[in-house]
Amino acid sequence: MKKFYLALLIIIAAVVVSYGFIGAQQSQGDKHPDVDWTLSCQECHSEMTPEVYKDWELSKHGDVDFGCYICHGDGQEVFYPKGTDERCGGCHAAQLVEFEKTKFNSCYDCHNGHTLKFHNE
Amino acid sequence: MSLSRRDFLRASALSAAATTLGIGSIFGNEAFAKAKIDEADFMQDSKGVQWHKSVCRFCGVGCGVMLGVKDGKPVGIRGDKENTVNSGLLCVKAFYLHQMITAKNRLLYPMIRKNGKLTRATWEEALDLVASKFSEIRDKYGPDALAFYGSGQAETEETYVANKLFKGHIGTNNVEGNPRLCMASAVGGYTTTFGADEPIGTYDDIEKCDLFFIVGSNTAEAHPVLYDRIARRKRQNPNVKIVIVDPRKTPTNKIADLHLQVIPGYDLAIIHAIAKLIIDNGYTDEQFIKDSVNFSDGKNPITYEDYKKFLEKYTPEYAAKQCGVNADDIVKAAKLFGETPRVMTMWCMGVNQRVAGVFLNNLIHNLHLLTGKLGKDGCDSFSLTGQPNACGGVREGGGLCHLLPGHRVVANEQHRKEIAELWNVPAEKIQPKPGKHTVAMFDALGKGEIKGIYILCTNPAQSIPNLNKYLKGMSDAFMVVAESFHPTETSQVADVVLPAAFWGEKEGVYGCTERRSQHMAQALKPSGEARWDGFILADIAKRMGYGNNFEHFTSVEAVWTEYIKSTKGKDMDLTGATFARLKKVRGLRWPVPSEDHPGTTHRFTDGDPYFPKDKAAGKRMYFYTKPDGRATIFARPDKGPEEPTSAEYPIALTTGRIMEQWHTMTMTGQVPELVRAAPNPYVEINPEDAKEWGVKTRDKVRMVTKRGSLIVEAKVVDRPRKGTIFVPWHWPESLTNILTIDAVDPGSKEPEYKVAACRVEKA
Ligand code: SF4
Repeated sequence: MKKFYLALLIIIAAVVVSYGFIGAQQSQGDKHPDVDWTLSCQECHSEMTPEVYKDWELSKHGDVDFGCYICHGDGQEVFYPKGTDERCGGCHAAQLVEFEKTKFNSCYDCHNGHTLKFHNE
Repeated sequence: MSLSRRDFLRASALSAAATTLGIGSIFGNEAFAKAKIDEADFMQDSKGVQWHKSVCRFCGVGCGVMLGVKDGKPVGIRGDKENTVNSGLLCVKAFYLHQMITAKNRLLYPMIRKNGKLTRATWEEALDLVASKFSEIRDKYGPDALAFYGSGQAETEETYVANKLFKGHIGTNNVEGNPRLCMASAVGGYTTTFGADEPIGTYDDIEKCDLFFIVGSNTAEAHPVLYDRIARRKRQNPNVKIVIVDPRKTPTNKIADLHLQVIPGYDLAIIHAIAKLIIDNGYTDEQFIKDSVNFSDGKNPITYEDYKKFLEKYTPEYAAKQCGVNADDIVKAAKLFGETPRVMTMWCMGVNQRVAGVFLNNLIHNLHLLTGKLGKDGCDSFSLTGQPNACGGVREGGGLCHLLPGHRVVANEQHRKEIAELWNVPAEKIQPKPGKHTVAMFDALGKGEIKGIYILCTNPAQSIPNLNKYLKGMSDAFMVVAESFHPTETSQVADVVLPAAFWGEKEGVYGCTERRSQHMAQALKPSGEARWDGFILADIAKRMGYGNNFEHFTSVEAVWTEYIKSTKGKDMDLTGATFARLKKVRGLRWPVPSEDHPGTTHRFTDGDPYFPKDKAAGKRMYFYTKPDGRATIFARPDKGPEEPTSAEYPIALTTGRIMEQWHTMTMTGQVPELVRAAPNPYVEINPEDAKEWGVKTRDKVRMVTKRGSLIVEAKVVDRPRKGTIFVPWHWPESLTNILTIDAVDPGSKEPEYKVAACRVEKA
């Protein structure tokens, strides 16, 4: 049974990955769940997704307190389930990459979105 | 629909798995190096977006930004990687700048109050009304019944036109700006100590500095990109030390080696104690003191020996008791200051917004003068600026009631003559007496002494201290507000509201903290009927009968070109920073006396084009803005706050900014992402106090001062020291300045936003 779930997880993950590669910029229609909007992202996510929160907190973004909204929007009026390369480039202009000249498609091909580290680190 | 923790975890697990599967197996990191960035594409990218060179609209760091425009619309923001201030990096506020251009609250047409209601009007109607009303007030009550209140966010050219109109033509020195509320004490400190305003060094010193002594500045939130440069310096050189003096633990503490968490308003004694320890332990640069320093008690010259005697009382133990810190920590701080060869002190509102603001500025300079840690790589007594053009437009442009353009003062006859000649008016037209400083100006509005006021690019109905006292005066007077946004607390009570072109819709120059003047491109047409502030003011001038001297202002460049003439030969010479040159380069740091001059990294020393080698006669530094070339070490008393805590008001209230919001939220409050970061007004309460008061995070608490009360949510957090609360002042629905005190520094006239006595109750 465990093996079945693991296989299922890998299949789903692979789908998410390819979708992520092909449609990273199009996957913005998803809605953030309706939550208590009087809270900041961090107030809620530190409880709801402590692992992700921890990854963020220990990252460079967390270090300077650039919150979830910077990549994901406010959740209510604007929501990007996955960050977009344009948004990375806004602040990190010196690291802008012309992907068409590379074999990469996105900043997230190399960087984890929360730890911001390279995936093989 | 609400989401359970399990749903969240499932989503996270999937994305984590995706991450693991995807990258390592498909791509190798080595390919990243092959990704070349084409320089030309950066200016005009493959999607047809034009990127225009500009400067951030927010804090005084002066980061270079590129505004992306496509089909006449703002589409994005990027950091300008060619700009050495930020090398492409931006903080969260700048990231959303393009969204603010098209924000819902943009003011698109002029409005006039009719039957108590602001009603749409034509430009003709609005300008005729302003000019006729101002002329009537001038003729009936004299020029001092009029006033101008500007901004450290206005362009230099805008402040210049206003100054020329009000001081030079209407004939009143009632010309102020919000830098009075943030930088005036720094001006007072620099001018009294060194004889001239603004820092000696530049940001270049950061990468060479080994000890950052940060006083009253939450650099991480208020100047994030500069903080990043400091943090990087420390990361790359673990021996670099950071000492913080502040009543709060702030995000800046993440990089601190030592934090002296002082009681608000009592830190002067610490700086004196450090000075004493520097002398006692032989950390002084005696040759430098001999060559380049005088001593004064504030009234009369004193000797070095007198100064030493004055310091006798400031033992670490005495200072520790005054400020509520450990004496050992003061000793540690002094040792670090004395033993580290390259030291930069940086400070901000925690030092300036105090009734002892100028004194504290002087005392900080004292430390650098005693040790000679000035005018060389990695060393400076470096004031951080709050607003993007407080230095350039208001301090250099002379936009305060005692100043004239080019670091001149109204009280100096020669200065008045020079500026009158430039403005083509008789010298007598400029009054020798300073006008009313900001708090006095709004007081005079209430008393009916000032009957008409023009407010440009600022929101005093939210930002001046002790608001309840001044709001009525603003409603009663004839008030004109030139703004890009409406409603603001101020525009709502105005008689005339004029739509001003916003950042990106106009070109102009901003001068940041490090004496750097930078050009901002116009990338867009102004929204609606908005116009450039300089043209609006020039049109009013023409209607008031001063046309001759404003007719040639047909472009922003024409104003800049006239302005820089006023700087020729001055310590802040911008003659070489022509508009054409500024358009090409990423700013120039004055003095820059000719077009082939590269600008100056350290003043008053070799490399400064005005450094008089003959007079200096071998001395490393010569402060040529002082009569004898010597800066002054001041023996200033350790003055405390205007309103100490008491039995009735036992808590010290301090106010300030958060990173995601700017001032009164007129701009940043329009960006949902930034609002999400801190959706509600709040007060930070120390956990021990909270326990004592039975208060938890999100409970409502009432804060009461002698001037008013306010209810906000509590945020229980180990940030303010026990007995202190911190209230950010951004939210218009929760006017923090109802609580603050309007007592001002007697020298700088800057109010004490940083300390008031209050009581806190559970609401
Ligand atoms: S640090 Fe200041 S100047 Fe730089 S991007 Fe942020 S707000 Fe703008």
